[in-house]
Amino acid sequence: MAGVDVTVEVCGMAGDGTIAAGGLINEAMSAGGLSVLGFDSYPAEIRGFGRCVTRSRIGDEEILALGDETHVLISLNDEQSISRVPVLAKDSAVLFDSNPPIYVQEEKSLAAEVDPETMLFGMPFGDLATSAAGTARGRNLAALGGFAAVCGVPPDLFHLVITAKFKSKGEKVVDANLKSFDAGYAYAKERFADCLKTMFSGPGRAEGPEKVMLSGNLAIGKAALDAGLRLYYGYPITPATPIMEYLAKQLPERGGAVVQMEDEIASIGAVLGASFAGARSMTATSGPGFALMTELITHGVMAEIPAVILNAQRGGPSTGLPTKTEQSDLHAAVFGGPGDSGRIVIAPTNVAECYLFTVKSFQLAEKYQTPVVVLTDFFLDNRVENLPVPEASEQDIAFGNVFPDDSVKGSYIRYLDTETGISPRALPGMEGFAFSATGLEHTERGTPDYSPDNHMKMSDKRHRKIRSALRDLPMPEEFSRGGDLDVGVIGWGSTFGSVLEAVNTARSRGLNVGALKITSIFPYHADMIGEFMGRCARVLIPELNYSGQLANLISHLRGNDVVRLNLATGTPFPPSLILSKIEELLKAGA
Amino acid sequence: MDRAHCVIIGNGPAANSAAFTLRDNDPDLRITVIGEERDHEYRPDLLPDYIAGKATEEDLFIGKSESYKGHDIKLRLGQRVVHADFQQRELLLEHNEVVRFTGLIIACGAKPRIPEPLAVFEDLMLTLKTPADARLWIERLARVDTILIVGGDLTSLSLTKALLHLGKRVVFMLDCGSFWPVPFSPELREQVARKLTEHGVEVTECTKIRRISRISDHSFEVATDRRTMVVGILGAFFGLVPNVKFLAGSGLDIERGILVDEYLKTSRENVYAAGDCAQVYHPEIRDYWVSIGYTNAVELGKAAALNLLGDMVAVNVKRESILEVDGINVNSSWWMEF
Ligand SMILES: Cc1cc2nc3c(=O)[nH]c(=O)nc-3n(C[C@H](O)[C@H](O)[C@H](O)COP(=O)(O)OP(=O)(O)OC[C@H]3O[C@@H](n4cnc5c(N)ncnc54)[C@H](O)[C@@H]3O)c2cc1C
Repeated sequence: MAGVDVTVEVCGMAGDGTIAAGGLINEAMSAGGLSVLGFDSYPAEIRGFGRCVTRSRIGDEEILALGDETHVLISLNDEQSISRVPVLAKDSAVLFDSNPPIYVQEEKSLAAEVDPETMLFGMPFGDLATSAAGTARGRNLAALGGFAAVCGVPPDLFHLVITAKFKSKGEKVVDANLKSFDAGYAYAKERFADCLKTMFSGPGRAEGPEKVMLSGNLAIGKAALDAGLRLYYGYPITPATPIMEYLAKQLPERGGAVVQMEDEIASIGAVLGASFAGARSMTATSGPGFALMTELITHGVMAEIPAVILNAQRGGPSTGLPTKTEQSDLHAAVFGGPGDSGRIVIAPTNVAECYLFTVKSFQLAEKYQTPVVVLTDFFLDNRVENLPVPEASEQDIAFGNVFPDDSVKGSYIRYLDTETGISPRALPGMEGFAFSATGLEHTERGTPDYSPDNHMKMSDKRHRKIRSALRDLPMPEEFSRGGDLDVGVIGWGSTFGSVLEAVNTARSRGLNVGALKITSIFPYHADMIGEFMGRCARVLIPELNYSGQLANLISHLRGNDVVRLNLATGTPFPPSLILSKIEELLKAGA
Repeated sequence: MDRAHCVIIGNGPAANSAAFTLRDNDPDLRITVIGEERDHEYRPDLLPDYIAGKATEEDLFIGKSESYKGHDIKLRLGQRVVHADFQQRELLLEHNEVVRFTGLIIACGAKPRIPEPLAVFEDLMLTLKTPADARLWIERLARVDTILIVGGDLTSLSLTKALLHLGKRVVFMLDCGSFWPVPFSPELREQVARKLTEHGVEVTECTKIRRISRISDHSFEVATDRRTMVVGILGAFFGLVPNVKFLAGSGLDIERGILVDEYLKTSRENVYAAGDCAQVYHPEIRDYWVSIGYTNAVELGKAAALNLLGDMVAVNVKRESILEVDGINVNSSWWMEF
């Protein structure tokens, strides 16, 4: 089983059961003990139109990024699948419907497009499902049966996950789906007996700690629940909506509430209100919604009110590319809004960090009494990974509130200028700790005051407070053999997985390169980042945006001498592109 | 206007020779080669050596993707044509795809022949025509010591040599009428039997196979009129027959193979046939001959291509050449080197 690293795609039209089939592949492989990273892409338009593609990279080691090539394509709609041909690896396998309801013309035939090395496995998906279960609805399951037979996946793994998936729909549905799967499996086993592949030979039942298949969005939702979220206010927007949907089901059962507001301005307003009153609350949005929130976010900065805001980035500007990934809200997250409004911005790089950082964000917001932006992106939100069930420690979920000492009862100064800038915060209703909170510039006591000295002093206090948060923020993580490096690659967000994969490959080829993961976007650990940059002959910063927004933020640490690699394609960063750039830099430097 | 589209059915020597000839003579034509096997073009004569481990895949496979790409020829492997509609100029592929053509060259070769009395045992017998067959032989031979060869065509002799090289025991039931493409004369049969025996092959009487019983996955009991023996593999070698069944209902003139004139033109406009599948008219004897052999297939493929483009190249069908396989006189040289 060693050396498994296979990318499987399912492609069809919306309504073909594409996403369901991809999900079952992920679950089955996870049940077989393999690592899985899956990512679906689907049209922005409503259901019923457009191409759906699920991509799953499956391996026996941790999967860091999506692969560049696809090894198995399961086509539920040939016309749509033709677009996938360019990413097919040499010697890939393509399973397709050999008995579509109408004859296919050559121009629309997948078989006509593939390279000669591609192994074609034509199967009558619909007929198999119909004769096994009385309905062609299970043609995606028949295709999965074919996949299991052709690629050497034990059918019990699929039996297990099919049963689990359809259990809630009743025995009949489970039975029909199992039958369709088995029909596909038996057909392929016999028909392709001489050319079955053994890509996955070996996966049995997973051993070790129980793993769950989680998307970034679900990890964020679960994290919020585990952290004791009381109130969620939001307005639906791709790609953040699944968080709200998840919480709408789960939160009321824990005594909390999800309120759909009239827009994003109302959402952040309500979050600030609830947080002001001491309840853990959050909102999740995407770029366009975040833009609407910015004025009130800076209110949170000025009035020093905690708030947790999840910004799930998508392609922009404006409505942009709603179902495509991008990392182009970094500037908005860090600087968006009027005034010098420093806030905390953290960006997870994988699903496990989506969970961890969301849990942490509540504590940070409370302790530093400021909005905390958790910056994810479409690829991170929608991809699924199988990981040990994430759990938060007591320490992680502990409240971060710094309450005033009883001794100051009656003489409470809400915005006391302390060494760290953190002023003990009272909650409304705490007797003897009344204060006024305002978006106007104010004195330590909260009284409006626009005098030059006061504005300077209070600005300094607020920024000092944000800087002091660095000690609680995740530190940059270096992946190298240490010492001087020929090329250092800095990555953030979902792109970091691609960075690490490229760097690992380069290192396995004997190249002296390293990677630095930055998750604290603001404030950032300038000294550590600067130290890393100083040890690198060249510094490369790949980002999924046009202008190089992280590079804009940190390149001054090296006299602006960094190499940018910017992609604005709406698709996850291919590791191969980073690897070629590393090689190019090494060649140029040689 | 759509580009003229020439489709070639097959991926053997005749098909490939036709495809590259077309390209060499017409840079604008759209050319598609459709072959039902998954493998690239190979050298059939090396299949026995491949089984014996004496030839590598590198030696065996001569078709290269880059070459097709470089010549702008679309190669489609593992895709079978199941029907041709000459009225509409359409081919139907097994997976229900319709391919339109303006010109067609049929070069679908031949397939192993199983004589009628043995047809019932067909699924229990191995033949040797393609690399997939060769892989099956290799897989089975790993677990088997004794092989019974029934028949006696040119391929069987070559394979026997490979089996002996692998240290296997070979029992040969030399059939009287199967030295395809010509029948055995008693002298020839005796000469072959003697040579085989000299090399340690057990040549047994040609008798009727009465029954075959599967003892295990790797052994069969074969009962003939005269004796019963336990063998691991049964190989059937009775020559090849044109592989034209899929054209049966197409309206094309077919006898044993596809009937073509000396210019390889079939009974349909712009449709040509070449190689082992063609039954070529011999103007001198005023009759048709199934023409076989590798070089012959290459030549026929080339002629069909040129004629499709408007030439009038008559194929070289010397009457006596049918007694040769690729220049090898079956009465002496080919198996003598064995
Ligand atoms: C083991 C062996 C050894 C041989 N040794 C020699 C030798 O030493 N010298 C010699 O001269 N000859 C030899 N021959 C014979 C020689 O190989 C053939 O005469 C020659 O290959 C014929 O070429 P062809 O192109 O006409 O047909 P083939 O080589 O049979 O090719 C036919 C092609 O058509 C394809 N095809 C068939 N039907 C369809 C369909 N419906 N749809 C799509 N594709 C289809 C097949 O997959 C194949 O690619 C040997 C043959 C064998 C099997």
